[in-house]
Amino acid sequence: MKKSIQQTLSIFAALLFVISSTAVAQQSDYQIQQDFRADYSELVNRVDNAVSSDDLQGLNADIDALEADYSEYSSIINAALYPETFSQRIEDLRNRYTASEQNITVIEELNERIRGLMDELDGFRNQLSDLDEEQANLKEQLDRSSANERRQAALIRQYRENLETRDQFVTEFLENLMTKYQSMDAATQSEIADAAERMEDNPVEVLKTIIAEYTNTANQSSDLAAGDYLAMRAQHGYFADVWDRIGDRLTNTFTPDSPVQERQEVSDMLAAWQASIDNKLWNSLSTAFNQNGIELGSFTSASTFFDALGIYVRESSQQAVESNSEEDYEVYRNFANFWNSTVKGQWGELMIQGNVLSTSEMAEIDVELGTWGENAPATSNLMFILFLVSLAVIIGLVVLLVTKKN
Amino acid sequence: MAKPTITTLAMCVALLFGAAACGPSLVIQNVDYAQPIESVLTPDSNNDVHDQRYAIKFNISNLLEEEGSSSANEIRLIRNSAGYYFVTAADFNNVYVFETDEGELKLKNKIEITANGLGQPAFNQRDGFIELVDLASGNTYNLNHEGRN
Repeated sequence: MKKSIQQTLSIFAALLFVISSTAVAQQSDYQIQQDFRADYSELVNRVDNAVSSDDLQGLNADIDALEADYSEYSSIINAALYPETFSQRIEDLRNRYTASEQNITVIEELNERIRGLMDELDGFRNQLSDLDEEQANLKEQLDRSSANERRQAALIRQYRENLETRDQFVTEFLENLMTKYQSMDAATQSEIADAAERMEDNPVEVLKTIIAEYTNTANQSSDLAAGDYLAMRAQHGYFADVWDRIGDRLTNTFTPDSPVQERQEVSDMLAAWQASIDNKLWNSLSTAFNQNGIELGSFTSASTFFDALGIYVRESSQQAVESNSEEDYEVYRNFANFWNSTVKGQWGELMIQGNVLSTSEMAEIDVELGTWGENAPATSNLMFILFLVSLAVIIGLVVLLVTKKN
Repeated sequence: MAKPTITTLAMCVALLFGAAACGPSLVIQNVDYAQPIESVLTPDSNNDVHDQRYAIKFNISNLLEEEGSSSANEIRLIRNSAGYYFVTAADFNNVYVFETDEGELKLKNKIEITANGLGQPAFNQRDGFIELVDLASGNTYNLNHEGRN
């Protein structure tokens, strides 16, 4: 029985050997190397086209399997690939895999950054949209409530607060952008540029939207005072400054196809925004000075405003020298009070930020105001009168003494 | 009279030997022409096939005519270590063995394989012989330039 089993097993082994030898004999060397080339190309494509770690999953094992499957045919494959070799191809594949793995790590980090950026932009857009809605609502209420002065004043205050919140919010966004992009090197810029192509929106577009909305607000605003327009001008100045600092990087990163065109577009929008503010600013400033009894010459720009101030102070100072009246002194006190408490005290910082007046221009006006201050007080005759009285008394006493002696 | 004639003859013989000695006589032995993997070549519209890797180009019209066939999608070509080319194709009954000559491939042998035509022939270079495999039928034939082993 045992012998019979052994015989059966021997026959089975022999048959298996014959079958396997036939199977080996039925291979085509040409087909083997063709299959290797096809399998290799497929793996190269998978490695080269991998864009996520999911794509890479299992690839390393597949490369190992390719090597294991074809290593026994390496001499055939070497002959077919000459001057390359089987092991060089496998090594090349592994190097590609390693490079791809590193790239994907970088891409995934960038994707994470882009996702974060997009979330930030979405959040920003939503908040900005809420503020816009609130602003539009307040504007509508303001337009309707002209009859009720008290209510109108309250609404204006609310509208102003809304503008301030919006400025603060945009400033935070710009600060955030500056932190991210001001010191960004060219390599990171280029990496983000590649990833940013997948973004639906980008910071440059958001900035353009913000500028457009600011311009719109400046165009539509009414019932606002000079201080409000100066705040707008200051915000514009800050915006322009930020754009000067990071505009190049932002456009190169997020609009790499047409950075120059984008920069020009944003610059044009900034100019339009400033024009909209200026349309109202100079009139409102003139009104504010007039309301405080200060009649400045006409001005339509920062430089003509400074000229008008200078002319007013110099002419008034000259007038004080010439007439030396109490009235002139009152004019001086009025101007000095408005200049120090309102112009410099309340608006000073906004004027500097908005490039309406520089610190040196303010200092220049201060110097001229000082001269005016010296000339302004009316000179008193009391001392002269006292002197004359004293002289008369002395002469009287001398005459009396002389008369008594005689 | 006879002496100058003998002298002249001797000189002629010496000249002949000298000329022969100056002719090409360098022979390199044990050259291995073996092509490690067969070439699978697609004929163009003129039935020309061109193996760029092993630098050979020829026309297969005569071969097709010999096989009674009008066309072939691909022909399989391999060279053995002795330098003979083995050519066949699907539906061929034979393997043709050629030796090279100046601008020629001369038929050395026509090895009959099957009367029904080969299904999917493939040549493999093996140690000392060329292996012909018909992948369709599973048959294997060991060949050399003399015929089947």
